[in-house]
Amino acid sequence: MASRGTAQRPNGTQGKICQFKLVLLGESAVGKSSLVLRFVKGQFHEYQESTIGAAFLTQTVCLEETTVKFEIWDTAGQERYHSLAPMYYRGAQAAIVVYDITNQDTFTRATTWVKELQRQASPSIVIALAGNKADLGNKRVVEYEEAQAYAEENGLLFMETSAKTAMNVNDIFLAIAKKLPKNEQTGNAGTSGQGRRLVESEGQKPTSGNCCK
Amino acid sequence: MEEEYDAIVLGTGLKECILSGMLSVSGKKILHIDRNKYYGGESASITPLEELFSKFNVTMPANQYGKGREWNVDLIPKFLMANGLLVKLLIHTGVTRYLEFKSVEGSYVYKSGKISKVPIDQQEALTSDLMGIFEKRRFKNFLVWVQNMQEDDPKSWDNFDPFNNSMSLLYSKFSLDKNTQDFTGHALALHRNDDYISQSAIITIRRIKLYSDSLARYGKSPYLYPMYGLGELPQGFARLSAIYGGTYMLDKPVDEIIMEDGKVTGVRSGQEIAKCKQVFCDPTYVPNLVKKVGKVIRCICLLDHPIPNTNAALSTQIIIPQKQVNRKSDIYVSVVSHTHQVAAKGWFIAMVSTTVETDNPELEIKHGLDLLGPISQKFVYISDYLEPIDNGSESQIFISSSYDATTHFETTCLDVLSIFKKATGEEFDFNKVKHELGDEDIQ
Repeated sequence: MASRGTAQRPNGTQGKICQFKLVLLGESAVGKSSLVLRFVKGQFHEYQESTIGAAFLTQTVCLEETTVKFEIWDTAGQERYHSLAPMYYRGAQAAIVVYDITNQDTFTRATTWVKELQRQASPSIVIALAGNKADLGNKRVVEYEEAQAYAEENGLLFMETSAKTAMNVNDIFLAIAKKLPKNEQTGNAGTSGQGRRLVESEGQKPTSGNCCK
Repeated sequence: MEEEYDAIVLGTGLKECILSGMLSVSGKKILHIDRNKYYGGESASITPLEELFSKFNVTMPANQYGKGREWNVDLIPKFLMANGLLVKLLIHTGVTRYLEFKSVEGSYVYKSGKISKVPIDQQEALTSDLMGIFEKRRFKNFLVWVQNMQEDDPKSWDNFDPFNNSMSLLYSKFSLDKNTQDFTGHALALHRNDDYISQSAIITIRRIKLYSDSLARYGKSPYLYPMYGLGELPQGFARLSAIYGGTYMLDKPVDEIIMEDGKVTGVRSGQEIAKCKQVFCDPTYVPNLVKKVGKVIRCICLLDHPIPNTNAALSTQIIIPQKQVNRKSDIYVSVVSHTHQVAAKGWFIAMVSTTVETDNPELEIKHGLDLLGPISQKFVYISDYLEPIDNGSESQIFISSSYDATTHFETTCLDVLSIFKKATGEEFDFNKVKHELGDEDIQ
């Protein structure tokens, strides 16, 4: 099970750490930020404001052999008028496409986001479909079977989630972590370009070398 | 769109995106619009390659250039000084997290018909053919003086007041000859012409310090270049603005800037009107409020080989000082390649540019083109250099200047910082962003 807040192995040793860039996609107000907030901080706010000020979060998931560190990019609202920059997709190794099970339009839009990913992102990207707000089952309009069939056809991971109750939130990130290839070439968040990140008081060494050592 | 904003920003070129980011960070409610369906305006990187060919109405030969999507071709060539203003802005705003860079491998300068590497350390300086043995000693003394000179400590000035004496006098103090002056003023201080010689020495001293501090950061050269091209920079700052609440609309025509009593009140797109107190824009959105002050010629060249005599460098800059070729302004050659994910494997993009001085601008860049070896494809374009005629104090419309012919982003950043100050009445406070936007790493 994914353990929050530490990259320490259960037996006390530090495993191989692989870093991956994960992007969130989906219509406004389907709960993208809430899912991340639940996953990263274990919190939920009923009246979460539109995304402000937190668009770059990291969280680790421990697997048998490796520790997967997600570098999570939120849309920062740029999806609202279809103004996401190519930079957003660049080097993304995983994506969660979110819809709201109580809103059919958001599911339709989710399928176009999947197409957008297939067009813009790396061909090897791992995509998960999340039917969020599963706690609102009495208002459901998108059937579980419909979404599951779509996911299967397109080779996507699929779960219904609830950021409110935490249902399947850790599990969907864990499923992605398991599916991601963990070799030298891939485990390097967003850094397919192999350049260096700039930091203050920079030393001589690049700060983003291969993470899988 | 039909809401009220503190400011509306028009155009997503680098300057407008930095401004948008700074304004959002400062708590302003921002609407940021571009008439194009892509980010970057003039400072975009064109992709795929097919797009570049069609922009210049040239038929692209099939199967010659690899995959078109592997290309990201800048329209305006520039490098970042590793210790310059743009790097400071990137680090302080956290935008650097979205980007990766590579050091430019070498910097060259043109002298008497051939190019020489700008030395980066004692070893290279000793073997350099740029100057004779005695001149090297004098030049070394000059550099040591510049390094030790502290602006706020007159004792370190060694009886030369850098504020009240010209650069010409400083050159005389160290008896540097004309060739060394050329090299110093153009390849190190990166002046575009010789106006600096009669100006206060401190201007040039600061620039030489910037060069050497930048060089000290990564070693190979003072220049950095972002992976996937310069077009990543505006996208990064746009994201910063969005994170702080900025609203983005691409592919949105701008039909009218609405004025009342000489002051801006909003922007109209079709039937929609967004209200605002201020507008920030590039010159193309307000043709009536700008004047043409010059022209810049730029030539994009696709090459299947590195530049001859650069030790097969995958990226480089060559400066042709004006005097060497009897001009008033320098010619710049910048080269990037597949290693920056801006070209298909094995390909290089060279850009030759200068400020236009004659009626035959293409001939003016010939000295640069001649250095490149065989050129597979050439795209030449000439753009007007526009400046605002209105300083915005009444109208509250703040207009940036076009991108100049300099090879780096220092003037770009100075323009942005000065616009920010004009519009808000205060200097940008870097501390506003630095601590709030922590990495939020939960480890």
